Amino acid sequence: MELLNVRDLRVSVEDKEILHGLKFTANRGETHVIMGPNGAGKSTFGNILMGNPAYQATSGSILFNGEELLDMPVNERAAKGLFMSFQNPIEVPGVSLENFIRTALEQRDHKRVRLWEFRKEIKRTLENLMMDESYASRDLNVGFSGGEKKKAEILQLLMLKPSLAILDETDSGLDVDAVRTVSRGIEEFQKDKDSALIIITHNAAILSQLHVDRVHVLVDGQIAAEGDASLIDEINENGFARFEEGVNGNG
Amino acid sequence: METIVNKPLANTFGWLNVNGTKVNAPDKMQQQEYELEEGAERTIIADFAAGSRISAKLGRNATLRLVQIRRGKEEDTAAAAGNLSEGGLKGADGTAVNDVRVKCSEGARFEWYRIVLGGEATYDNCTVELEGDRSSFEAQIGYRLGGEQVLDVNCEAIHTGKKTDSVINASGVLSEKASKLMRGTIDLRKGCKGAVGNELEDVLLMDRTVRNRSIPVILCSEEDVVGNHGATIGRLDEDMIFYLASRGMETEAIYEMMAKAKLDSVIRRIPDEEVRRGLLEE
Amino acid sequence: MAEEKTFVDDIDRSRYDFRNEDGESFKVEEGLTPAIVEQISREKNDPEWMREFRLHSLEVYNNTSMPDWGPSIEGLDMDNIVTYVRPHTKMSASWDEVPEEIKDTFERLGIPQAERESLAGVGAQYDSELVYHNVREEVAAKGVIYTDLESALHGERAQMIREHFMKLVPPTDHKFAALHGAVWSGGSFVYVPPGVSVEIPLQSYFRLNSPGAGQFEHTLIIVDEGAYLHFIEGCSAPKYNVANLHAGCVELFVGKNATLRYSTIENWSKNMYNLNTKRALVEEGAKVEWVSGSFGSHVSYLYPMSVLAGRGARSEFTGVTFAGAGQNLDTGCKVVHNAPDTSSYVNTRSISKSGGISTFRSAVVVNEKAKNSKSAVSCQSLMIDDVSRSDTIPAMDIRTDKADIGHEARIGRISDDAVFYLMSRGVSEEEARALIVSGFAENVSKELPLEYAVEMNNLIRIEMKGAIG
Repeated sequence: MELLNVRDLRVSVEDKEILHGLKFTANRGETHVIMGPNGAGKSTFGNILMGNPAYQATSGSILFNGEELLDMPVNERAAKGLFMSFQNPIEVPGVSLENFIRTALEQRDHKRVRLWEFRKEIKRTLENLMMDESYASRDLNVGFSGGEKKKAEILQLLMLKPSLAILDETDSGLDVDAVRTVSRGIEEFQKDKDSALIIITHNAAILSQLHVDRVHVLVDGQIAAEGDASLIDEINENGFARFEEGVNGNG
Repeated sequence: METIVNKPLANTFGWLNVNGTKVNAPDKMQQQEYELEEGAERTIIADFAAGSRISAKLGRNATLRLVQIRRGKEEDTAAAAGNLSEGGLKGADGTAVNDVRVKCSEGARFEWYRIVLGGEATYDNCTVELEGDRSSFEAQIGYRLGGEQVLDVNCEAIHTGKKTDSVINASGVLSEKASKLMRGTIDLRKGCKGAVGNELEDVLLMDRTVRNRSIPVILCSEEDVVGNHGATIGRLDEDMIFYLASRGMETEAIYEMMAKAKLDSVIRRIPDEEVRRGLLEE
Repeated sequence: MAEEKTFVDDIDRSRYDFRNEDGESFKVEEGLTPAIVEQISREKNDPEWMREFRLHSLEVYNNTSMPDWGPSIEGLDMDNIVTYVRPHTKMSASWDEVPEEIKDTFERLGIPQAERESLAGVGAQYDSELVYHNVREEVAAKGVIYTDLESALHGERAQMIREHFMKLVPPTDHKFAALHGAVWSGGSFVYVPPGVSVEIPLQSYFRLNSPGAGQFEHTLIIVDEGAYLHFIEGCSAPKYNVANLHAGCVELFVGKNATLRYSTIENWSKNMYNLNTKRALVEEGAKVEWVSGSFGSHVSYLYPMSVLAGRGARSEFTGVTFAGAGQNLDTGCKVVHNAPDTSSYVNTRSISKSGGISTFRSAVVVNEKAKNSKSAVSCQSLMIDDVSRSDTIPAMDIRTDKADIGHEARIGRISDDAVFYLMSRGVSEEEARALIVSGFAENVSKELPLEYAVEMNNLIRIEMKGAIG
């Protein structure tokens, strides 16, 4: 069943067009990978889906479950089931990770979350991710290392259970331990066949362990190639040169 | 009684009107003096008084923690009914004037926890002289003000001893027509080699009618020292709002959560469990 | 090493003593009198309104008290203010009277003899006059007016001057603004018509050498809609003036979408009380950029102010202050946000050495109307030794919630590790410290035209000589 349908999407940042007419669809239960060299517009795509006010769509549409996302406030998008793990998660002093997730759940679903059940679930999820229990009581992202921040994003992903998750470079710059946690979290999320996943990355290391349905190569703000998981291996071997030529050749 | 309080160590531009504040102070000030012996440790939860003068001398390696909470209404009512202890008289116009002066000997430590949640007008002076080597001072000031409430603070850390350390941390939320003036001075005087002073202010403004004034001063006449100051004043950072909204929170709820967080971050440091829990639940 | 210092001891007071041998005699009275001001006005051939303006300013001056904050200016003999105002009309300072230290500094800065004399405020105008003339020709072709203010009062823009003169800095601003209003003399007038971009920086440096100029000079610059100008005031060579009070005034009007960069390297001789007032009015979408280096003076009060009056107006202030022996330099800036979407950035460095006192003082005011305004202030101070002093006294007054205000200040010393690192590469300790201080002041030097940046770094090197041991 179609979950996301992006048509003719043009996006600018500070009046500079980054995405030039993007087309993209994803169905429930699928895992999509968006690859591409630095500066291709990968993060722009994630941010426009989530509604970052720094990015402006100048044309096109984003249908999510048949509903237009453009112009929808960020928190409503989250309520509709969208989630993005941030490349640089923001530090929020004074708010513990645990309290925050609970507040977000209550806000989104407009109902109270029972403390006891919630605690049990967060504990279970932390165990699952091989994360220390003390994470829950620390201030959200404050003083977290790069790896810890990414782990905390994955924890939120599993607790908030969105129907479309966008992981923006969640794997970059992580140590082995953090990569393991992140992979585990993604696998856990993939078990839910009602949800779809978009993994944005510029390196393929993390993908070797994961099931991937479709790969999209983004170059200079356009989809340069699409294919199945075998495309990942090709990029691993040859890089993006072939696709870059193609885009530049087309002008 | 009209008097000028909160005169800072260094004046600045006259037109800013911050070189001291004229107040109608209570006629009677409740006086308290403490003298801590070598190695003594004490936590004082001060009762409210419309006018209070607290002074302390800390002996070697002594530690004094002073917790002062201004809740507002009930205190003023109690004061009006004459239910407060000696000197705890209601100040004119719900005004409370508080003056704390502490001297620290070698290795001594003074911690000041100041929470202001109510009261029409609160004037706080806290001057700490770090005379002994390795003595230290930490101020944790938290406030949440609305209506037409006024908070006017002058907090001074005077470093004369070597390797002395001070932290002045003020964090709070202003809404409606609340007005806050925070003067914080780190005075690194000649001879205080190895001293470190840090001052941090974080103010969240909730309404367009608030007024925030911040005068973070560092005075320095010693070379081998470090002094830092940082302030963030205004609305929430756009990136933070986007991040929190992306997890499903409405803007208003984000502000409410962050307002609480700002105050809680100070309250959580209060060394008295009972007071701390009481405030967190309020 | 003593001869390397540029410090000038207070000049013998007898030098100021009033001489009345030339017929235009005034009695030394306790204060400034209307008669003296009238006399100045007559000599200047002022239009009537200016004469009245001076007299009005005098009244304000006599009714205004001295500032009750900032460094002491007790060294100024305010009872005998006349000696500052009229040191002597036909000041006949000669090259021989210029202190040796200043001559040495010229030498080390590599300034040609002819310019040295004009910079020292003596002699006629040599090559610089010619350069000034050429600059004028070039910009005049674009419709730009660049002239001295006195003749402009009688020129085609007389009405424009009347509409702007001391409207931004009224005589009521403070005592020395009032004094300035009463006795101002000399200075520049620049008008840049709409849309005109002046490619070469205009330099007031070429004009500061007429007798007595540079003491109460008035600079009035009007940059019209969409125009661009870079104006440079002063230079790194020490400016020597027998009268030790400088109460100049700079008024900058930056029209809609225009940009004005105003750069100053101030190096008054070290007996000077520098009580200068600088202010810019910045209209919608316009920008003022202040680049300010303060090296000279005995005492300075200097806080260039930006009034952000139109939507989207911007202000940037980049400054460095170096206070050495005998100096008390109180510098910084003021910004008033009066319109929505305005922004201000302040980035300053101060250095204190050999008993010098430097104070960074600022005020950022964000008014109710200034929704969505941003301000970021960053100031760093460096203590070179433990006999100096460095104070940081910022103020913020915020009256709207829709604002982002950030402030950071840091004070510290030259890191021993950095000195060690440089020395390990073969640099002497003195040179290492000079390099580090130059690097510390890079925020300003990188904003200056190359020749000024080079001069400034030379100046820092000279000031740092003998800083150790």
